Amino acid sequence: MPVNRPRFVTGRILRNEGRGEIFYRIEAAIPEPLRFVPGQFAMVSGWPGNDPLLPRPLAVFRSGGRRGEGKIEFVYKVVGRGTALLSGLHPGEPLSITIPLGRGFDLGQAGRTYWLLGGGVGFSSVFPAAAVLSRRRTGYEMFLGARTREHLPPKQWTPGGKTPGRTHFCTEDGTAGYHGRVTDAAMERMCALSPEAASRLTILACGPRDMLKEIAVEALQRGASVQVALENHMACGFGVCWGCVVTLWDGDRTAYRRVCREGPVFDAKEVVW
Amino acid sequence: MTPDLSVSLGGLRVKNPVMSASGTFGYGIEFTPFYDISRLGAVIVKGLSLEPTAGNPPGRIVETPAGMLNAIGLQNIGVERFIGDVVPRLEDFGATFVANIYGKTEEEYEAVARRLSVVPSLGAIEVNASCPNVREGGMAFGATPEGIAGLTARVRRCTGKPLWVKLSPNVTDIACIAKAAEEAGADAVSLINTIVGMAVNHRTRRPELSNVTGGLSGPAIKPVALRMTWEAAKAVSIPVIGIGGIQSSANALEFLLVGASAVQVGTANFRNPRACIDILEGMEAFFREEKIASLADYRGGLKVENTP
Repeated sequence: MPVNRPRFVTGRILRNEGRGEIFYRIEAAIPEPLRFVPGQFAMVSGWPGNDPLLPRPLAVFRSGGRRGEGKIEFVYKVVGRGTALLSGLHPGEPLSITIPLGRGFDLGQAGRTYWLLGGGVGFSSVFPAAAVLSRRRTGYEMFLGARTREHLPPKQWTPGGKTPGRTHFCTEDGTAGYHGRVTDAAMERMCALSPEAASRLTILACGPRDMLKEIAVEALQRGASVQVALENHMACGFGVCWGCVVTLWDGDRTAYRRVCREGPVFDAKEVVW
Repeated sequence: MTPDLSVSLGGLRVKNPVMSASGTFGYGIEFTPFYDISRLGAVIVKGLSLEPTAGNPPGRIVETPAGMLNAIGLQNIGVERFIGDVVPRLEDFGATFVANIYGKTEEEYEAVARRLSVVPSLGAIEVNASCPNVREGGMAFGATPEGIAGLTARVRRCTGKPLWVKLSPNVTDIACIAKAAEEAGADAVSLINTIVGMAVNHRTRRPELSNVTGGLSGPAIKPVALRMTWEAAKAVSIPVIGIGGIQSSANALEFLLVGASAVQVGTANFRNPRACIDILEGMEAFFREEKIASLADYRGGLKVENTP
């Protein structure tokens, strides 16, 4: 039975390969299949020794397998020492994983049109949402942005399905797709919509904070609903260290909320940008 | 043969010496998906203040070699909500639990202690006289023998619960501080809290933490913690609870060897939510393998004569 209570498992690496210019994809065998909500994440480690000490938060990219034989996949970018060490792990080696964590995207709103925005490695968080929408035959559009062509997600990872969504690739240097940032592409399209159509939009976004802030401010102004997946440094990932807080609106006051527990997906209206 | 790991910690008898360290275990409930928390010697919950506390602005943690700095600033739900919402759940889970308390003034410490003293299921009160991340209270009381004695004596008068005092390592002479707590009425001392540290970014020219300085924890501080536990255990006759960088059962046994009656596991919980239970099981296996009948037969058995 797939389980969705958080658990700590030792997986066994099946593959860990660099793809494209900067992305890695790691797959591990775990004792049982995992049921997760797109946007939920895991705390992952596997390198020997105490340095770095803490696991790394990675969005769950895919899960599968059958009873007694689960599989889980993550996509990551090497950004520091922890992810560099992670990229050096080999098939057969153990991987420590705490899963599933946090609150994912809300895909349950009826009568909505979904737009999915991924900036940089942020696609790893929105692709699972695209897969769910495809299975439900709910139409969506996806906007994927990177600095340059080589930093876009590899084409073969981009979800299709029975009701494939339209995917817009964007590069800041114009080497592929739309010449500009992912927010520019999305806003250009949104401006072409009637106010009524814009108000039926639900935007799911993951990427750099500046990107999230911009899309939140502009899309909220046009009446769309926006869910953002935030990132932060985390020690535990399951709500006990209180290290990963962000500032949210709490009525007309502000409060610190944990990205790992109350998030990582927040209603953009609640975030103090 | 099942080894007897039980130990008395200043009036609180615990079934084994493995406990969670305050501030790394939430309110305990968060760990129930991972294991049965009633198996621990005790759960020490996050520091409680009289009123809910917001804590420090974001930019609260940063990783450092074999450790981490934190400046959470004691964000917590306050003592009333703890008693109303959390205590019944800890009781349901059958956990032995200890409340870590904190105040900006001595009066606040007294008020929190008084409020908690009427909770029958509460095992002990641990006074946090050592948090380095708040401007008032915390470490300000723990920095001198006079400060620790004054605070301990005042809380002592407010509670009949076993009283533990958690000490700061940011002092010149830990033995002297531990002794001051003992003489003022502490039933046990726990040490160490985090070591004040700092991390800055040479490019942005900014500190990594919003609070500028923070508390260092993790394996990096273990040698300091072990030394201070040893010094404190020699100085006092009340139980000493060792804390600092414990990652494995071997690490925990080292603290018992230098004289600790029990240990608290902190930062290791972040890396492995099952850390406490793994350490407990490793310790049980060690006692069985070595055919040691009880904790008392091992504790404080450090052999320092003829050391190379």
